Amino acid sequence: MTKTRLIAAAALAGALLATPALAQKTVLTVGMQSSDAGVLDPHLNSGTPGKAMLQWMFNGLVRIKPGELSPEFMEPDLAESWTSSNDGKEWTFKLRQGVQCHHGYGEFTSEDAVYSLGRSASKDSSAFSSDYSAFDKVEAPDKYTVKITLKQAVPSLLGIVMNYHGGNMVCKKAAEELGKEGFAKKPVGTGPFMFQEYVPQQYAKLAANPNYFRGKPKLTEILYRFIPSDSSRDLAFQAGELDMMIGRQEQAWVDRMTALPGVKVVAMGPAEMSVLHLNMSQPPLDNLKVRQAIAHAIDRNAIWQFRGKNISRPSVSVVPSGYLGTDEKAPLLPFDLAKSKALLAEAGFPNGVTIKAINTTLPSMLSFTEATQALLKRAGITLEIQPVEHATFHQQIRQDLSQVVHFQAARFPVADVYLSQFFHSRAIVKTPTAVTNFSHCNVADAEIDAARSETDKAKQLELWKTAQKKIIDQVCAIPVNEMMQLWAYKDSLDLGYELKASLNLGPPVLETTRFTK
Amino acid sequence: MGAFLVKCLGFAVVTLLAVLSLVFVVVRIVPGDPAQVILGDQADATAIAAMRTRLGLDAPLIEQYWSFLTGAIRGDWGVSLVTGRPVIQEILAVLPWTLELTLVSMLIGVAIGVPLGVWAAINRNRMPDYVTRIASLLGLSFPPFVSAIILLILFSIMLRWFPVISAGSGSLSAWFQAMALPALNLGLIMAAYITRVARSAMLEVMQEDYVRSARAKGVPWRVVVWRHALRNALIPVITIVGLYLGILIGNSVLTEIVFNRPGLGKLIVGALNQRDYTMLQGMMVIYTLIVVLVNIATDLTYAMVDPRVKLS
Repeated sequence: MTKTRLIAAAALAGALLATPALAQKTVLTVGMQSSDAGVLDPHLNSGTPGKAMLQWMFNGLVRIKPGELSPEFMEPDLAESWTSSNDGKEWTFKLRQGVQCHHGYGEFTSEDAVYSLGRSASKDSSAFSSDYSAFDKVEAPDKYTVKITLKQAVPSLLGIVMNYHGGNMVCKKAAEELGKEGFAKKPVGTGPFMFQEYVPQQYAKLAANPNYFRGKPKLTEILYRFIPSDSSRDLAFQAGELDMMIGRQEQAWVDRMTALPGVKVVAMGPAEMSVLHLNMSQPPLDNLKVRQAIAHAIDRNAIWQFRGKNISRPSVSVVPSGYLGTDEKAPLLPFDLAKSKALLAEAGFPNGVTIKAINTTLPSMLSFTEATQALLKRAGITLEIQPVEHATFHQQIRQDLSQVVHFQAARFPVADVYLSQFFHSRAIVKTPTAVTNFSHCNVADAEIDAARSETDKAKQLELWKTAQKKIIDQVCAIPVNEMMQLWAYKDSLDLGYELKASLNLGPPVLETTRFTK
Repeated sequence: MGAFLVKCLGFAVVTLLAVLSLVFVVVRIVPGDPAQVILGDQADATAIAAMRTRLGLDAPLIEQYWSFLTGAIRGDWGVSLVTGRPVIQEILAVLPWTLELTLVSMLIGVAIGVPLGVWAAINRNRMPDYVTRIASLLGLSFPPFVSAIILLILFSIMLRWFPVISAGSGSLSAWFQAMALPALNLGLIMAAYITRVARSAMLEVMQEDYVRSARAKGVPWRVVVWRHALRNALIPVITIVGLYLGILIGNSVLTEIVFNRPGLGKLIVGALNQRDYTMLQGMMVIYTLIVVLVNIATDLTYAMVDPRVKLS
């Protein structure tokens, strides 16, 4: 073989070997069910399209292990370690050194963390300020130490300093320099991907952060496309124009996507629990027997079948399953049609009752209520549904206008959050401190409050268990089933972890995420 | 001509003011709280109240109306309640997309509709007439989002000629790829309308004395149809084009969503869902302006096509 031939052969072999590496995709295209991601400030955006994307750009002091949901999987993020005082009121976080803010805004230090938490706690700059109401002060004793002092213990403190909602850490210099509006257009964090471009109604483009503290990401870019039409998103995914997309909460969608070759479909947490809140301040729902009759008339398994076995599961308690503090064996009233009718008769309604529900027109939520309506009918309970557009629904149910409210929601997975927002008297609708207590439930205030400041974990769990039992006994609300978040992606995409859940409602894309071909 | 334009502009200003006032009232009557939508499910009443104050929604209505009106006159339409970006910027960013789609669809509609209508008329009660009438009826009966999905399945999934989603920027071929299916979708609907109108207008004109006398004088058939009859038959077609341009912009809402094109349609649906008052107000100004301008343009075109029409 001549020298020239040898060189040519080597070049050819080299080219052949290099081809797979060159052909490997490094741009991830994601399809989201939305026409826009809204404001790109992590402290203001609470919508699914925004949250799913912002998590790729921001870190918290801590994070839940990617793919998991429970706070028991909490691990270091920007903080390397942390300690808390015995009474749970003082928390000290030691930060990693050398973490760089995106776009050359310098090192992330305790000053940035103090600024971020102050920003999250302020009503003027945060949609999540109420989460931080127990904060007394946040200090930076030195460049890499953050000290949080609380007015009272918070059961989920790590949950509000993790990379979720107000816990996302922003870079002070960038936030101050860009101003609130500027920052919302060009967010600056420390995550594996950094903001590059935003084209309204089309896409947001993120570029790999070469200085990411966990290592340079294997993907070079994320193209986050806004595609509000379900059909178009499905077709684009089918045509190979998307690598990953959010699904619609329908069993038929799962069946259709699963049948496609090279596609992975994941039904992940957090599950949104469908609960029927019964307004106990109005007749006939002020009668416990009527509420019990309604609870006995609902067949959770029938609804589970109806909504889809792979995408939903029956509820176990008034707090969704898998949350810290959920009593998985809570004494929910079982389906019993005869008992339901007997209770109605005992309550003085032998011919049945009529109750009214204002309901959103969102198809999956409306069809749930219609299925419930059919179940209740068998017990002689007439549920009159008044469908209204989604934003109207939210306003009217907060004005206490509906006797039955079907609310479907996931929350930070600690029992305290669900119990406080839905079942504490402070949260009763139309009061100054209202959140989403539509039933006017007030039977477990003492336990919910006591559990908040209880530092003994076992006692705390016991208090939450008692609270759940009291709420179930009084039938403030009827938990029915839980709907999973659906995503599909090419099986050539290796996320780098097992996707079981994501609190930010979109799969985490990490520095290790890559395409295998 | 000058007096005509002044009169038109006068009408335009009055119409705009009326629409703005109506929109201002209507968006506030419709239930749904923007502060609630922005803050999400978990916000408490205090946070929602603070947000309302920040957005200026707790000020008396008359005060809000006055600041909106004076702002609009100064060209300041405020910022979107949801994204915080200036309304005018958000609208201008997507307006060219809708205008472009509408104009191309209209051209397709005219290019297909007028010849088809004429062809059907001159072959009245014969095969071409039947075929054209059935085709235009089909075109009218298809909701635009159904035809959009059919086009996508056919041309993007089965034939792979066009992408399902395309930003359509960068090169002429990218532009064409992004434009072809949505424009065809709307253009075919437009063509269906125009065919029917052109056919009946042509039939009517063909009965006129001057057509009969032209034919009696031995003017060739082709000249009678294309030069004498068509020019007069175009008047109702222009009316329908002007009128349906508004409808086309409305139809573009669904087309934009299915083909995932940016545009006013997508913007207005998002603004409605989120009760983005300022955005809705800005959008209505634009919609009204477009309709008013199209009407003026229609009147001007009449005069150009038909010398009997005087602009006064």
